[in-house]
Amino acid sequence: MIANLDSAVIYEFIVIAFLASWFLLTVLCQFKDTKFSEFIRYKVDLFGLIPLWTFFAPHPGKRDYHLLYRDKITEQAYSEWQEMDITEERTFWSWFWNPEKRDKKILSDVVQSLVSSIPYYKGENGNLNLLMFSMPYLIVLHAVSQCKQQSQHAYRQFMLAESSGYHKETEPALILLSVFHQI
Amino acid sequence: MISFIDTTQLILMILSVGLFISTLEYIKKIQIFAPNGLLSWNVMQLKWDKQDQKPLLKSFFKLFNESGLIVLFAIRCLLLVGLLFFPIQSVSGWILVSLLGLSLLISSLITYYGSDGSDQMNMLIIITLVVCHLPGVASTKLADLGLWFIGLQACLSYCVAGIAKLVSSEWRASTAVKDVFSTKTYGSQKATIFLQKYPAANVFLCWNVMIMETLFPLCLFLPWNYAVIFLIWGFTFHFFTAVIMGLNSFFWAFMATYPALYFINHQMPWHLF
Repeated sequence: MIANLDSAVIYEFIVIAFLASWFLLTVLCQFKDTKFSEFIRYKVDLFGLIPLWTFFAPHPGKRDYHLLYRDKITEQAYSEWQEMDITEERTFWSWFWNPEKRDKKILSDVVQSLVSSIPYYKGENGNLNLLMFSMPYLIVLHAVSQCKQQSQHAYRQFMLAESSGYHKETEPALILLSVFHQI
Repeated sequence: MISFIDTTQLILMILSVGLFISTLEYIKKIQIFAPNGLLSWNVMQLKWDKQDQKPLLKSFFKLFNESGLIVLFAIRCLLLVGLLFFPIQSVSGWILVSLLGLSLLISSLITYYGSDGSDQMNMLIIITLVVCHLPGVASTKLADLGLWFIGLQACLSYCVAGIAKLVSSEWRASTAVKDVFSTKTYGSQKATIFLQKYPAANVFLCWNVMIMETLFPLCLFLPWNYAVIFLIWGFTFHFFTAVIMGLNSFFWAFMATYPALYFINHQMPWHLF
């Protein structure tokens, strides 16, 4: 009886400590630009258990991202730009059933990660060419490299662009133009 | 069949509905995990270049292909159906919830990109329920503690989102909602036209969201008759973000926390007035 009581009390203490630490870490990691937050997020939190609750703030996502690619068929000849079909419009039932949101969110996360890492690679000690070895760059390159080729030994280039959706008065803008990669 | 009157069970049932839909959505989009998909393991494994030496993680990596993940998601759906018959307070129910948590943790290793706050809230709730209902040592005190944790995380999420918006010049300038709604990713053409026609609606929506999110934790301290205003606001907010922005999974994940808010409010020894 005493042994059972002790184990229950000890377990209660462990759970209290665990949940209190989790809550405290969540609070501290809301300051996402601190070194502590970056350390926890990128080195410790393997499973994404520390949420960042700053939805659509401080900078609301106000751009649609577009992923396009083209092939260099010969030194002089290039294929037309093709867009990967990702930002399709939602249906009436999207409020209940919206599988398309995953592709959009993945691309949005990848692009934001890529864009946020560009200043680092452009910095004093950085080398922009190293961007090509970054995870988001490789994800995008891998995705476009799987699309249908225009010739057997094609070199492929991709372009990340942004547009302002239904606001037609704003021109689409280029985010990143890759070099040609052999695929 | 289980009882819906129990607060923890109610949380689990609301969450299960959203998680069931979300899992079926992943099954529908399983090609994103194919060798030519956006989250192909051929590329995603590079993220785990050091961790893949850990045998435990490495064993899960074998699942990360279309067929492996289909099986994982199908098992998750079966677990969710099973929760209709076994309450978490039973050993069988606890095992089902634990396996559900395990499936969420495993899939989180490959959905590093593309997962959102609703996925994190689901995982947070499931893990909390697992640790607070461990058979043999579970107690009312631990169950209550779990509800407090879920409720406080919900309040933190709204409050942080509100403060982050208040410090944003774009939100204070009342252009944020219009800009987000004008995207094809999170907006709609009808909403864009409406906000262009009625600019005052932008101001109302931006400040409504900023104020209500920031003040949301008051729902714990106000008498229930007033606190419920925040919960009705939250329900409306998530319903419209699902309709206009397509954020359907947020609706279920955050509604699942509301029974915990009700519980905390009624446990609070004092109220503001």
